[in-house]
Amino acid sequence: MSLHGWFIALARSPLGHAMQTSQWGFAVVEMVHLLGLALLGGSVLIVDLRLLGVILKGDLAITISRSLNRLLLGSLTVMVLSGIALLSEEAGKCYYSPAFRCKMALLAAAVVFHFTLHRQALVRAQSGKPALWSRIAAVVSLLLWLGVGIAGRAIGLL
Amino acid sequence: MPFLQHFCEMLYQSSFGTMLRESNNAFSVIESVHVLSITLLVGTIAVLDLRMLGLILRSVSVSSLARSVLPLSWSGFAVSVTSGFLLFWAEAAKMYVNPSFRTKLVLLVLAGFNALVFHATIYRRAQEWEQQHISPWRARVTAIASLMLWGGVIIAGRAIAYF
Amino acid sequence: MKARLALALALAVSGIAIPAHAHHSFAAEFDINKPVRLMGKVTRIEWSNPHTYFYIDVADASGKTTNWAIEGPSPGALSRRAWQKGDLNVGDTVVVEGYRAKNGSNTANGRRVTLPDGRRLYGGSPGDGGPGDDGTDQGNLPATGANK
Repeated sequence: MSLHGWFIALARSPLGHAMQTSQWGFAVVEMVHLLGLALLGGSVLIVDLRLLGVILKGDLAITISRSLNRLLLGSLTVMVLSGIALLSEEAGKCYYSPAFRCKMALLAAAVVFHFTLHRQALVRAQSGKPALWSRIAAVVSLLLWLGVGIAGRAIGLL
Repeated sequence: MPFLQHFCEMLYQSSFGTMLRESNNAFSVIESVHVLSITLLVGTIAVLDLRMLGLILRSVSVSSLARSVLPLSWSGFAVSVTSGFLLFWAEAAKMYVNPSFRTKLVLLVLAGFNALVFHATIYRRAQEWEQQHISPWRARVTAIASLMLWGGVIIAGRAIAYF
Repeated sequence: MKARLALALALAVSGIAIPAHAHHSFAAEFDINKPVRLMGKVTRIEWSNPHTYFYIDVADASGKTTNWAIEGPSPGALSRRAWQKGDLNVGDTVVVEGYRAKNGSNTANGRRVTLPDGRRLYGGSPGDGGPGDDGTDQGNLPATGANK
């Protein structure tokens, strides 16, 4: 199935139908999406600011990250699931939306980065002054996630 | 007309308020800043609350975490309030009659009060319990209240558009 | 309390609905089975974020006038569709092609608006699922009249 076909299938799915006909569906799901955003943002901020050496300097970056891992991935899951529901309500518009495409690209980049280079940076970060690559990894992570957020806002504004 | 309503009408009719309300981009940008600031404000407070509930960062003492996190929360608060005030200015007359906006402000005050009580009482003796993986029941009550109140602020904020 | 009630009554009497500018997709808020083609005189314009509205007095066959609310996206979004604030003025006679709100109120989306000078402006989004939507901003409305 083509990409466009996938979007149409989602719009025509039971989820899509429910979201499109419900008076409150979109509002409620969007609220869940925002609560997820607060938690995801908070976890990302704490982990990356530690990697930057700005906060919680008494603990290893990897310790902080491991401890926040469930919250980070859990809130990310909530955002992805609620995001799919939101998408099913306006799949056509999102398919053509440059903001949506940008957001998905940045999201993919952020997630891949999180599980690869970012994780490596955390493992290798020792106590004491953070190495240059630690700080670069933290900044890249923060910028990618911020980009996802901004692009998400743009979907409704363009 | 009560003074508060008159004040809201004045803000709404002002040239600055009108400019913001009718702007091509300014309102959207300010609103985006406001929405994204919940990560800095609510996200960081939530981390502290979840620590006191013993769910995350148990190896970090509560006051050590608070020292790291609260400056971020305050920065988030500054950004939220500033952007929020500008949004309010643009829509003041409509916000005056909006039940969701009023609810949001009430919840905001309660969230602040909850934090104040915590800092003035149980947190004063933090050194006695901050190393524990799970904080004492008074701290846990504060944490749950905080999560619910701030969650409520976010929900009420989003619901403004539906009234 | 009394002042709030008075304000609400005053607004109701003057026929100005405070619209719930809830975000819905086309499908959730407007009814694809209720196309409307409205010609009327603009009585009020709210060129505001987050949604723009304008109101038109539409006379039906018997001469009775109904005031309709026409919803559009934000001023910024309209400006990106080459639609600026001054393009629409109170007193202008315009033609609105859109679809009626599902809740049955006299509300429609301003999917296509024809201005007095003949310009036709598009107030939807590519891919919004409105009829004739072909993923571009030229999506046309079938069977609601002249839309060339």
